[in-house]
Amino acid sequence: MLERVSPEEALERVRTALGDRAGELRLNFGQVDLVCEPTRLVDVMTALRDDVGCRYFTFLSGVDRSEVADNPGGLEVLIHVYSPDGRFHVNVHVPVDAEAPRCPSITGVYRGALWQERECHEMFGVDFEGHPGLSNLYLPEDFEGHPLRRSFKLPTRAVKEWPGAKDPDEAATGGR
Amino acid sequence: MSSVRGDVDAVARGEARPASEVVAEVAEGRLATEQMILNVGPQHPATHGVFRLLATIDGEVLVDAEPIIGYMHRGYEKLVEVRDYRQITNLVSRMDWLSNIQNELPLHLALEKLMEIEVPPRAQYMRVIMLEMNRILNHLMFFASFGAELGAITPTFYAFREREEIQIAMEMATGGRMHFGFFRPGGLREDVPKGFLAQALKGVRQTIERLPDYENLLLGNEIFKQRTIDVGILDKETAYSYGVSGPIARGSDIDLDIRKDEPYLVYDRFDFEVHSGRNGDCFDRFWVLVHEVVESAKIVEQAIEDLPSGPIMGKVPRVVQAPAGEVYVHTENSLGELGMYLVSDGDRRPYRLKIRTPSYSNVSALPEVLRNTYVSDMIAILGSFFFVLGDIDR
Amino acid sequence: MIDITLTAWQVLLIKLLVILTVVPVGALVGGYAEHKVMAHLQHRLGPMYPGGFHGWATTLADGLKFLYKEDIVPAAADRRVFTLAPAAIFVPILMIYLVIPMDRNLIVEDLDVGIFYLLAMGSVSTIGVLMAGWSSANKYALIGALRSAAQLIAYELPIVLAAAAIAMLAGTLSLVGIVEAQDYPFAVWPPGIGLLAFLIFVTGAVAEMTRVPFDMPVAESEIITGPFTEYSGMRYIFSHMFAEMGHMVAFGGIGATLFLGGYRPIVPWEPLEYVPGIVWFFAKTALMIFLFLWIRPTFPRVREDQLQKFAWKFLIPLSLLLILVTGAWVIYV
Repeated sequence: MLERVSPEEALERVRTALGDRAGELRLNFGQVDLVCEPTRLVDVMTALRDDVGCRYFTFLSGVDRSEVADNPGGLEVLIHVYSPDGRFHVNVHVPVDAEAPRCPSITGVYRGALWQERECHEMFGVDFEGHPGLSNLYLPEDFEGHPLRRSFKLPTRAVKEWPGAKDPDEAATGGR
Repeated sequence: MSSVRGDVDAVARGEARPASEVVAEVAEGRLATEQMILNVGPQHPATHGVFRLLATIDGEVLVDAEPIIGYMHRGYEKLVEVRDYRQITNLVSRMDWLSNIQNELPLHLALEKLMEIEVPPRAQYMRVIMLEMNRILNHLMFFASFGAELGAITPTFYAFREREEIQIAMEMATGGRMHFGFFRPGGLREDVPKGFLAQALKGVRQTIERLPDYENLLLGNEIFKQRTIDVGILDKETAYSYGVSGPIARGSDIDLDIRKDEPYLVYDRFDFEVHSGRNGDCFDRFWVLVHEVVESAKIVEQAIEDLPSGPIMGKVPRVVQAPAGEVYVHTENSLGELGMYLVSDGDRRPYRLKIRTPSYSNVSALPEVLRNTYVSDMIAILGSFFFVLGDIDR
Repeated sequence: MIDITLTAWQVLLIKLLVILTVVPVGALVGGYAEHKVMAHLQHRLGPMYPGGFHGWATTLADGLKFLYKEDIVPAAADRRVFTLAPAAIFVPILMIYLVIPMDRNLIVEDLDVGIFYLLAMGSVSTIGVLMAGWSSANKYALIGALRSAAQLIAYELPIVLAAAAIAMLAGTLSLVGIVEAQDYPFAVWPPGIGLLAFLIFVTGAVAEMTRVPFDMPVAESEIITGPFTEYSGMRYIFSHMFAEMGHMVAFGGIGATLFLGGYRPIVPWEPLEYVPGIVWFFAKTALMIFLFLWIRPTFPRVREDQLQKFAWKFLIPLSLLLILVTGAWVIYV
């Protein structure tokens, strides 16, 4: 099974395995990209792990697309898995509600999610249902706010713009 | 009924039970032993930094171990949202501070993908040379520290002597011994000075020459073998499930090396082997680590030999702005898979940069490996997991 | 000629004062030797500056530095036991020196039960270590103390048995008697038996001193300093540094006396008799100390249970076998 699978073939494999459980399915820079509803997440991840062969858990994190320049979106949970035998990547985007983000936990499918979901929880405020112990990973217990959300401004930058933000032309003319 | 053993506060308060009572209990076979909670860290010589392990021990057996991290959390993913790409180069090198220049790479690969920049061959070869030299630096460091944790204090000095030659070379080219900031989107900051290649070759060749001695000092030592063989076994499925990568995964007979699986830069032009262990114990992980040094040296030699001349920077616009899009790029860091998921919205700064670090995933697998081992084995296992705090905590 | 006659008590006092001088100086020199030997084995120089010439005053400076460190007793510690422990560790080591002959007449007291006394004194320090670890109210110290106690008890036996073999060969328990019986050092003759006894003794001695590879109790990278974690200042020096160095010199002396011929020359060759016995003694002790120092940077640490297994399942049966063979030799040869 140690043969590199071409991105197109990977896409086909995922499509066949998931059928209509996967939302928007496409290739992005050679990696399979799909959107999945939170309710179907555990199902999809199990299928990815068992039927498609993505046994390797790369990461789970979030993206807060609320301030994207052209096309603002909402909050999403981003899961990335990898198939060590076929050597292809699958990105799973899980859009969650920005006000009260909730997402089922995939710790039953990939044990690596234990820590990653805790981090996503404290950084974005996503509540992972079914996680055995959703406590803060990095931040102290009494920390207020969710740092990686765009609405959370870096305190120092709230007062003053980053002083180093200039491009080479400005620097040449001595602009501060 | 608490045992006398664990209740030191009772002793201080003057409330400890009289010895005669305890003796009577032991005679009847009723003494309840208590599990002791031992805090390994955050300040502890064996934990490579501020890493805390909440260990529950019963005598000398570790019943449960929970790593508590975050003592060094600097908020990288937030910090990079207000910096442009050149500034991030220097910032990111401080994550895994032993594989310094390797941390800079995925960001630039991602940028080069999004901006469709072609990196000239000389820059690619030079990048590979520096990356592999850094890998040797990193592995020698862990060679030193693993020995020291097990009580062998001498390999530390030998390993550092070898590191010195390579660090001199890196300093020649980049001006730094630890944090380099040498990569730029499209190539390198500047070309390397005369003498760099000779020094690099010298450093690498010297390491290879002396490596068999060091190997014998540790890998051939009976005491070392007794302490590491069949200790801390990590099985394949656990490794996949947690996302364990790098020499730690390869020690468990997982054939996963991004340089071979999905070659980036010019890795597909070099002839090198990927070593894997059989058992998944501490010995195998360490064995893989030591043998990777040889492979890296081979790559450096081949790269120096084939180094083409030419420009070291591709066609990059003055202002580095990635077009809107997202991409995930991963590279083989010294300790495993370092990946960056870059979401760009057309600005000079990343919109979102998710940094996937190897030590983070590796260490999350620790509780499973540490269950039901001895306290001394805990030290050996912690050492053999080759983690760097900056990598875990970001 | 001034006629000096001293009473027996005055002679004893003088001898004790000499011991009280020799031991700390020996410990200081041993400490310096450790720094230098270990350094050179590790491809570096070691201390070079304190005192000027190659840092000869390093250990002296260390000792003086510790004199003015703050004396901390943890709040939860058992004060009385905590303060008594260093004494319980250090004093028995001093007592060992009382029976080691540095020359034919240079011995404090040549007890008829020399070896017996020696080994008995060596075991008393174990209690001190336990006291230190237990009273510290520190979990790491506790682990260290328990490991230490188990280890010291386990490795007493091989030393005792090896020394018993030597006593059998010499026919006496008195240390001067043992040295006198060594025309050729016991490590060399009887062939095999003496060497085996010597090796068992060295292994046991390294374990008794809790040095690498048997330094689990004070495993620096795991449980900081084991039983002595909470000790600071002079208490630390007495219980840990002085004790270990003093122990090392003592065991060096014992090894030299029992196995290498003590103050007698290596071979009974006429010209060698002109070298004073004390020079021979110190040379042999230095050799033993060098052996201990050499072992330290070379090996990793043996795990506690492996250490126990090694003692009980291998070393002690071997020592018993040694006794058997020695007995046979003495009777039939």
